[in-house]
Amino acid sequence: MLQKKVKKRASLLATLLLVSILAIFFILQTLNKNILYFKSPTDIKNDQDIHSKKKIRVGGMVKKNSVEIKEQEIKFVITDFKNELMISYSGTVPNLFSEEKGVVAEGKLQDKSFFIADRILAKHDENYMPPELQSIMNNNDK
Amino acid sequence: MIQNLISMNGYGIFVWSSFAITFFVCGVVYYKTYKTLKKYESEFAKEINELSREQKTSVIENSKIASQVISSYSKTI
Amino acid sequence: MFKFFSLSNTFIWIEKLTKFISSIFFILLIVALSFALILSPPDYLQGDSVRIMYVHVPAAWIGLASFSTIALLSLANFIFKIKNIKLITKSIAPIGLMFTCLAIVTGAIWGQPTWGTWWAWDARITSMLVLSLFYIGFILANKLIAQEDKADRVSSLIAIFGFINVPIIKYSVDWWNTLHQPASIKLTGTSTIHSSMLMPLFLMFFVLLLYCALIFLMKYKTEIIRIKKKNLKRL
Repeated sequence: MLQKKVKKRASLLATLLLVSILAIFFILQTLNKNILYFKSPTDIKNDQDIHSKKKIRVGGMVKKNSVEIKEQEIKFVITDFKNELMISYSGTVPNLFSEEKGVVAEGKLQDKSFFIADRILAKHDENYMPPELQSIMNNNDK
Repeated sequence: MIQNLISMNGYGIFVWSSFAITFFVCGVVYYKTYKTLKKYESEFAKEINELSREQKTSVIENSKIASQVISSYSKTI
Repeated sequence: MFKFFSLSNTFIWIEKLTKFISSIFFILLIVALSFALILSPPDYLQGDSVRIMYVHVPAAWIGLASFSTIALLSLANFIFKIKNIKLITKSIAPIGLMFTCLAIVTGAIWGQPTWGTWWAWDARITSMLVLSLFYIGFILANKLIAQEDKADRVSSLIAIFGFINVPIIKYSVDWWNTLHQPASIKLTGTSTIHSSMLMPLFLMFFVLLLYCALIFLMKYKTEIIRIKKKNLKRL
């Protein structure tokens, strides 16, 4: 008697769980574009219906030797190693902003290769190490 | 050196505030849990003390928990 | 076997464990704190703000681990209806909620100097917020529903379905572009945190786990006394 009840509860729960996992999976699939915190330069290139009036976020790696500072304005290129996007921003950048590091820019797209940002966020990567070690590694690279 | 420890090159306020918040909240939660435990213990002990003598001895004999609580309660008074 | 797990035996075990943990707790806390705040090196990029990680990451781990425990125990409770399980899940939930909130708050404090913002609606942070909502739902269901059976069932279901969120939190940084960085410590393969920073991280984790154990034992004791008090008239 008890065994039957236990089985009934278990199967009911299993079906409910399966259904909700599937439902959540499909919801996340359809929302996929909205969940992305930022778009990569490749997304920008492939996406046809980007309205230049809408505020969006783009992100990628700051390309080496691309940072140009002119008075108030800072210009740099972000890359996802397939496509590139030029970004212009006036204001102070976060401390962690530097070349060959991740960055997220919030602002408006002017055209497919030029972006005017009104906010810059630095994206940190998953590497943590003491400064001495970093300089040793840099020397090894050279 | 101490000044460096406090300021942490400008990150001090962030580091210290996050540690402070963590340990403050931990402390408050510890205190609250401790208070509730003591409250239940004393209520439980009071209820046992209010029982008639025979009932009380039988409760204390039958339940280790009751005797434990009674003894720790009488210690705190 | 059953006698060993009886309430009065657990009660005595709780007393002993509490004494043992509180005897070593403060020494370990001081060691962990001095490693986290003084002896460990700053990060090559983040500088000293990396130290926030030593409370942020353990808090997030504990938040996730206690929710997983609650979900698994609730699953067992829902199917097999074992009374004592409810005592355990009810005792864990507030600690889990506290650490989830702490992870969110310390994450915000870390985000300001490193990212340049307190808050971002990215997948990791949002799913962590959803986790705290599941905790609140679980606790409220137990508090607000007067009928014990019904409260049991509703809160168990909240925990079981809330568990779907846990893998989403874990893999959010891999599935979507997030501002939050990917995991540094992997279940397989080497970690990308240098060992001089891993040590204080695990020490802090251990100390906070001990703290959780202390709170859990106190709460569990409270629940046992509550039950005994109810049954007093029947003795």
